[in-house]
Amino acid sequence: MTLRLGLLGVMCGILCGCGNLPEPYAPPTQRPFFEAPPEAARILNMADADVESHFVRDISAELQGNTWRWTGKRPTIRLHLNSNQKLVYSIDFAIAESTFQQTGPVTLSLFVNDHLLGSFRYASPGRQRVEKPVPAEWLEPDENATLAAEIDKVWTPPPPGGTPLGFILIALGLEQRELERK
Amino acid sequence: MKALAALAGAAFTVAACYGLGSMIAARLGARLRRDEKFPLAFVLGAGVLHLAVFAVMALKIAYKPVLFTMLSACVAAALATGDWRLPAAEDAGRDRSLPVGIRYLFGIVAAAFTVLYLFNAWAPEISPDGSSYHLSLVALYLRARGFTPVLTNVYSTLSGGVDILFVPAFAIGKHSAAALTHFAFLIALALSVLSYGRRIGQPLAGAAAALLVYLSPVVGIDGTSAYNDVAVAAIVFSVFYWAQIWDSQRDGRILIAIGLLAGYCYAAKYTAFVMLVYALAFVAWRTRRMGPAMVVAGCSLVMAAPWIVKDWIYIGNPVAPFANRYFQNPNIHVSFERNWTAYLRNYGLKNLWTLPIEATLRGEVTQGLLGPVFLAAPLALLALRSRHGRRLLAPCALILATYFGNVGTRFLIPSLPFVALAMALALEPAAPLLILLVTAHAAASWPESLVRYTQAWTLQGIPYKAALRIIPEERYLNDHLEYRWARLIDDHVPPGKRVLVRSEVATAYTSRDVLTGYEGAFNEKMQDLLDVGWDSSSQPGKQWTGSFPERRVRRLRVVQTGTSEIPERQWDVHELRFFDAGVELPRLAEWRLQARPNPWDVQMAFDNSEATRWRSWETLRPGMSIEVDFGREQPVDQVRVELSDIDWNVRMRLQAMDANGRWTPLPAREELRQMRYAGSVRRAAGYELRAHGVDYLLLKDTDYGAQDIAQDPARWGMTRLVYASGASLYHVNPNQVNP
Repeated sequence: MTLRLGLLGVMCGILCGCGNLPEPYAPPTQRPFFEAPPEAARILNMADADVESHFVRDISAELQGNTWRWTGKRPTIRLHLNSNQKLVYSIDFAIAESTFQQTGPVTLSLFVNDHLLGSFRYASPGRQRVEKPVPAEWLEPDENATLAAEIDKVWTPPPPGGTPLGFILIALGLEQRELERK
Repeated sequence: MKALAALAGAAFTVAACYGLGSMIAARLGARLRRDEKFPLAFVLGAGVLHLAVFAVMALKIAYKPVLFTMLSACVAAALATGDWRLPAAEDAGRDRSLPVGIRYLFGIVAAAFTVLYLFNAWAPEISPDGSSYHLSLVALYLRARGFTPVLTNVYSTLSGGVDILFVPAFAIGKHSAAALTHFAFLIALALSVLSYGRRIGQPLAGAAAALLVYLSPVVGIDGTSAYNDVAVAAIVFSVFYWAQIWDSQRDGRILIAIGLLAGYCYAAKYTAFVMLVYALAFVAWRTRRMGPAMVVAGCSLVMAAPWIVKDWIYIGNPVAPFANRYFQNPNIHVSFERNWTAYLRNYGLKNLWTLPIEATLRGEVTQGLLGPVFLAAPLALLALRSRHGRRLLAPCALILATYFGNVGTRFLIPSLPFVALAMALALEPAAPLLILLVTAHAAASWPESLVRYTQAWTLQGIPYKAALRIIPEERYLNDHLEYRWARLIDDHVPPGKRVLVRSEVATAYTSRDVLTGYEGAFNEKMQDLLDVGWDSSSQPGKQWTGSFPERRVRRLRVVQTGTSEIPERQWDVHELRFFDAGVELPRLAEWRLQARPNPWDVQMAFDNSEATRWRSWETLRPGMSIEVDFGREQPVDQVRVELSDIDWNVRMRLQAMDANGRWTPLPAREELRQMRYAGSVRRAAGYELRAHGVDYLLLKDTDYGAQDIAQDPARWGMTRLVYASGASLYHVNPNQVNP
């Protein structure tokens, strides 16, 4: 009986052990790159892998929580545009509770190539999103454009001091589409 | 001519089964009664003939003359030996006849349903599974003259002991011949239930039970289609029947029949394997010895082993498509098995307590209904009071136990003869009630009645014009979308080319190589390419970076440590890259790549294509890994893993192999970034489809991704060839997918 059970065990072992696992593979032929149709513009997520190459000023080099970055007073980015038509300025950001306690209500002014696109006042902390069409004449196709968002009051660290903080920036950029008329 | 060919194909196959079975039964010394000889000999012969056809297929000599000769030999030998003849009527023994009135009533009912069934089986075959995998595999094997590895159709891995009998029938009479062959099993099943009632001296119960089974709507439509459930029921009941004959005659040779049929149960459908358990237990119980049970076991192995070996050789898994975690293979994904079996356990029913109503009255969700009279099935338990009842309910319980693995109503058919007989035995003392029950069942099961209370899969009428081909076959079939899609493929795709579809088409009516999206690991990968092309959550959207002080390593691996409560969540790696001082290490030929699980696709994470991804094809769990052996020590200071956007739960750690061959943690500064692929994922997906030999794509309007491709096929490097019947056929254009 023991012998039979043993044989059965060996057979089961062989059965399960007879895996079909392959030998390690060599790297395959590398695939070609396929050009995508050019986009008119783009929205930069602060977590995008190439985002730092678009920074002009006042955006922290350190990514927080894998999604956002601290700004200074006037965070500015540079984008290459393939078109100047039907572009919408889009910013996704948050006023931090901690900075709001010191600054109180703040005003955010949006700029495109140093043209003032609009100003918005925030009387409470929290996440915000703004979208606003950009006049085509402010932009040139196939040229770079600068986008900025200036906060009127920055949070100043207590002594011995440090970097002043503006707001939490999550995404900023231009998107080609028509906004619904309200 | 087609009608005659169909009839001839089935008749010839059935005759061969009966002839062969008659000869074997005679040599086993079984004393069969006149009324039970046809059903028992036919099913036993079917089992043995299936082995012969299997051998022909394995030898790849499935030519028409070979098959024809084989069938002819069975018939001729039975005629020559005299075994073909039925025993004389006086063998009937202690039979008691039914009263004339009941005999006429039951006879008229049976005749009416036989006409209904015959014409439905004879009409062009368009049942969902019959016109797809059951007969597409038969047609494929016939084109290949025998078995050929079908790695892109998971259904080819199921044991096909009944389907293989369709091969000779199909060779002669095409699709309808297969359905008619299955219909012969339905006749045999009803006759065997009828004759068992007579054998135990309760003919009214036998007749009533035979009709309860025969008239059941799901039995009717299944038994007249190129399916196998009714045949399985006939085989299962035969095991029981032969066991009872052996018990009364105690001739050891009959054990061979029991063993062969018990093994044939496995060969016909995995879930019927429990009849082997029954047979072994019954024989051991009645003899109190292991020897006779060993005879049964040995004979059953003869029938079951070919299917086990076939799957082991072709698929690398002897019990495919199940147990893929234990028998790892590149052909069936573990995730497929999990999703599929999970679905079969409930068919989307949220409350399994509704199953009795669903299986007897509604049938829409579980794809068929037994008929309202089976709501009275618990009456069968009253049969426990008698010895015959207890003997029926024991195998019934075993068969029912497997039902919860697949709650489709069809999967109740094998237990139906036992339930029906037990119900009839319980009600036989109240004969008028039993007769009323049968009459009500007949009334409720006729097509005109069924449309009043169910929209389930049932027969719709008597298609005699289609059966006799007064309506041309093509015209009849054209009323069905699945057939039109198959014709679309045949009309526009050159022979030898592969077509990817996302959902079923009537593949039995096309000779092209059609890959149905979910039916195999390769198909799933091709479907995944489409998903990556249009579905942003499947696209590379996250880049995990592990940075560390430069270190010389030869072997390095990324180990996944996260878990997910959502079973569908996997680990998806589009690309795995290594850097030193900001420069990516070129992927050299001497590198060696491994992954666990799913080692077969590891190259997809190293091909520089964002359309492809290595996937675990298993639920995310700690311990999964991708490993690289650089072939020599290599300075590295950063690893980047490009993940699908949906991979929220993935967590990774790096490990390097030390000089002692042990994996040790490689502390790294981790960062997870969002990423955007600058190129065209759609074009890359088109390129990969073509690189994998898929030149055509058929998408129905309702298929995932169909809209995206229809809006601009050129973005995918495709051209729409034709749009018809709610589906588009695309050609993957080589000029557009080549850079």
